[in-house]
Amino acid sequence: MNMLFKNRHRQLQDFRRLLQPQKKDKTDEKKAVCPGCGKENSLSRLKAELYVCPVCGHHMRISARERIRQLTDEKSFREMYKDMAVADPEEFRGYSEKLTAAQRRTGLKDSVITGTATINGTKCAIAVMDSFFMMGSMGSVTGEKITLLTEYATKKKLPLIISCCSGGARMQEGIISLFQMSKTAAALKKFSEKGGLYISLLTHPTTGGVSASFAMLGDIIIAEPGAMVGFAGKRVIEKTINRQLPDNFQTAEFVQEKGFVDIISHRHNLKAVISGLLKLHTDKSRKELTVRGRMSLIARQATVQQKENITPWQRVQIARGAHRPKAQDYIDRLFDDFYPLHGDRLFGDDNALIGGIATFHGIPVTVLAQCKGRNLEENVKNNFGMMNPEGYRKALRLAKQAEKFHRPVITFVDTAGAYPGIGAEERGQAEAIARCLMEFSDLKTPVIAVVISEGGSGGALALSVADRIAMLENAVYSVLSPEGFASILWKDASKAPQAAQAMKLTADDLMEKGIIDEIIRETATEGADSIKATAAQIDRYLCTQLTVLLKKKTSTLCDERYQKYRRTGITE
Amino acid sequence: MIRKILIANRGEIAVRIIRTCREMGIQTVAVYSTADKDALHAQLATEAVCIGSPRSADSYLNVNNIIQAAVNTGCDAIHPGFGFLSENGDFARKVQENGLIFVGPSPDLIDKMGNKAEARRLMKEAGVPIVPGSEGVVETVEDGLKKADEITYPLMIKAAGGGGGKGIRIVRSADEFPAAFMAARSEALANFGNGDVYMEKFIENPKHIEVQIIADCFGNVVHLYDRDCSFQRRNQKMIEEAPCFSLSEETRQTITADAVKACRYVGYNSVGTVEFLLDKNGQHYFMEMNTRIQVEHPITEMVCGIDIVKWQIRAANRQRLTITQQDIKPSGYAMECRINAENVKQGFVPSPGRIEFMHLPGGRGVRVDTAVYTGYEIPPFYDSMILKLITFAPSRLECIRKMRAALEELIIDGIETNIDFHYFVLHHKKFVDGSYDTSFAGTFIEELKQNEYVV
Repeated sequence: MNMLFKNRHRQLQDFRRLLQPQKKDKTDEKKAVCPGCGKENSLSRLKAELYVCPVCGHHMRISARERIRQLTDEKSFREMYKDMAVADPEEFRGYSEKLTAAQRRTGLKDSVITGTATINGTKCAIAVMDSFFMMGSMGSVTGEKITLLTEYATKKKLPLIISCCSGGARMQEGIISLFQMSKTAAALKKFSEKGGLYISLLTHPTTGGVSASFAMLGDIIIAEPGAMVGFAGKRVIEKTINRQLPDNFQTAEFVQEKGFVDIISHRHNLKAVISGLLKLHTDKSRKELTVRGRMSLIARQATVQQKENITPWQRVQIARGAHRPKAQDYIDRLFDDFYPLHGDRLFGDDNALIGGIATFHGIPVTVLAQCKGRNLEENVKNNFGMMNPEGYRKALRLAKQAEKFHRPVITFVDTAGAYPGIGAEERGQAEAIARCLMEFSDLKTPVIAVVISEGGSGGALALSVADRIAMLENAVYSVLSPEGFASILWKDASKAPQAAQAMKLTADDLMEKGIIDEIIRETATEGADSIKATAAQIDRYLCTQLTVLLKKKTSTLCDERYQKYRRTGITE
Repeated sequence: MIRKILIANRGEIAVRIIRTCREMGIQTVAVYSTADKDALHAQLATEAVCIGSPRSADSYLNVNNIIQAAVNTGCDAIHPGFGFLSENGDFARKVQENGLIFVGPSPDLIDKMGNKAEARRLMKEAGVPIVPGSEGVVETVEDGLKKADEITYPLMIKAAGGGGGKGIRIVRSADEFPAAFMAARSEALANFGNGDVYMEKFIENPKHIEVQIIADCFGNVVHLYDRDCSFQRRNQKMIEEAPCFSLSEETRQTITADAVKACRYVGYNSVGTVEFLLDKNGQHYFMEMNTRIQVEHPITEMVCGIDIVKWQIRAANRQRLTITQQDIKPSGYAMECRINAENVKQGFVPSPGRIEFMHLPGGRGVRVDTAVYTGYEIPPFYDSMILKLITFAPSRLECIRKMRAALEELIIDGIETNIDFHYFVLHHKKFVDGSYDTSFAGTFIEELKQNEYVV
């Protein structure tokens, strides 16, 4: 009998479910066609997918309110300057009507929403542009609101996030709209001088006056996949140069390749990426650097067998070995989170240099690593670890960024040398390296360089101007390759082994000369265990040295670094 | 003075009459067919007499056996309930001829109001609005066509002796008329033994409003306000509510006044119901009068706080109506769901069988009128209605919610019922807002089929 009541209960639940969809069906009927693949999806499904087409992954345009819903914590957004509206729209014929229509359609007063919010708990100032309001064009109100918000963020020391989405300046407002570009840029300069973090998010489309002002000025620039980013319209360019442009022209991916976008993030990860970056920049609780239990255990247990009687030439071969761990292997093991950033903001993004931000034992650091590939495929992509000028300029940009946010810089050196190529010469390889040497010497934050395998010539030196230089036991560091040395001096490249002997390029030799500060011992074995053990040794070294360096005053740090390099080559 | 009543009926109405009789100190005699020996009315009455085999014609319609049983058990009166012999003037006359009281109006009144053409004529005389029609029996096709032009299409051809929605033909143009006319005639002859038909204007998708009347034989007539019985499947009511939610106060006054006027005119002297059609413009037309207690009388009882059966017996007992119109102050809303033993999925076919287990809802504002119980075997010979679930609450929405809750609680295991069907109706927007008319049930059933909720 009990069963009857239970069955009835279950049946009623079924009924309620049947009665619910009856209402829901009607809303479900509303569908949207994906502009990417043309497939239909219900709006409720799309909303759950954050308006990313579940079929083709196309990121659809969304309103400012929806963007805020997606990015910020629920109910955390506090809108500011809400009621600001164009004062005198009558000046231009038809503008007033267009403005009213846009206001009615979007419920906004102008093309941007500004305010404060928390993102996974971190408070920030946020501005979101709405492309449904006159194509997100920037008029006086847009410029003013963004400037006011930037000033507010400067005053309150809040990180600033601007989600950009615009066709450009608002033509109806004429010259006033153009000068919003300089106004916002000026405000951002003041913000940046005070050490504020500005993350710019480029969404489809970010063009014209907006891209040529605040959109491109982010300390970190994030873009959504497939978003159109550019200055002049594609059609205008095609008409002017009378040439067909490639399909991917002005896409986020294209622009990243050209060095102007740090991160391309799928909309589903966007909040996590932004909140991660915010945490890296706002977590002021300076933790004591301690070697993690696991790492110290590995470091202690690793039986460091010093191999006797290894000739310098053998070490060269070990350092160049295909199975030798690469920078990426150490990055994976040393840092919990690593946000790779891309581009030199000038010409391109060099894959031979990995650069980014990570936390090391709870403190944010900037990581710069010369990166040989682990297989042929990676090597082709990474140019066999030989950097182009854009790679050095990217390293310099990220180092300057680290200086701004007082992050220590850790570099991993592993290169046969700077890339000898036509393009590299054209773009000023020598200048790029020289600039690095100069700027790193006075970088107002601790720098530690770790030579992990091969330190080849000026290409390696550009990344090893540091407060501390450490070398792995089997790494080599020299003015040029032993083969090159042999062929220049003895006209015979096959005499490389003898050259290696003569060049004094091993860690022990360099230690003797006082060029490096520490030799990090490696285990005899190869493979994953040895990487782990070596990583643990590096970890311990970085930990102890950072503790020392972080305690120093910036001026002392720079002075000591100057003296360190000043001393080299003095014969007494 | 009535001391003992024979109840010439079965099922829940017999039980309901027995209950009032017990309350009034009147002894009761139940009659039952051989199929109903375990039926509740036969158990609850003071005495029970078997009057024949399961077929209605042999038992509950068997006039001689019923009167014989009444005489044998020493009854003073016979209560016919509803259905069966309740609107049979000849039966009432025979009851009286045997020196018994017929609990209902005078036999002549039953005949007059039962004959629809006659009833229309009387109402026209009384000044009650009637649906334009043929004024009497239509004999030939030619005659019919001529009258049809006066009435205008669409119109209905109805059997003069019919009822319960049978023998009705809707004609939308003159072309269809001859065939429909002949079909209606033969159907009337087959179903009611009388080929007479009449015509009236077909009012599309009206609301079905009725007014409950109590009268005595001293010319006192009061009304107990209106009921809305628009939720009908093939002219069979399924859900009724009181009062009608969408009726304006002005229309309510004219309708109730017309009902009282009709009863006064014919000298009505018992409990009865005057049924009206309400068209889209708020115009009401007299449809018919039921000279008996009705299935849905409990909702009026809930709203008015009056036992209608009690007054019916008193009126039969020639007692004076001691309540005046001013005494009747309706409050709140009541609703009734007719729970039938039927299979909704298979087009509402009756589903007789044994009730393995039954749980009834209860509590404040919930009334259950039924004659079935756990272990009872529903015989296949009679009407499939087994239970009336009535709820009462201060507002209509509360009433609907209470009804939903009651339906959720109601369990009748072993047979198919329309409980879930009612549950779905009570969630429909159109039902909830009270704007539904007589076409709603049909469209709702179609909707259910399409949505595969019931299928």
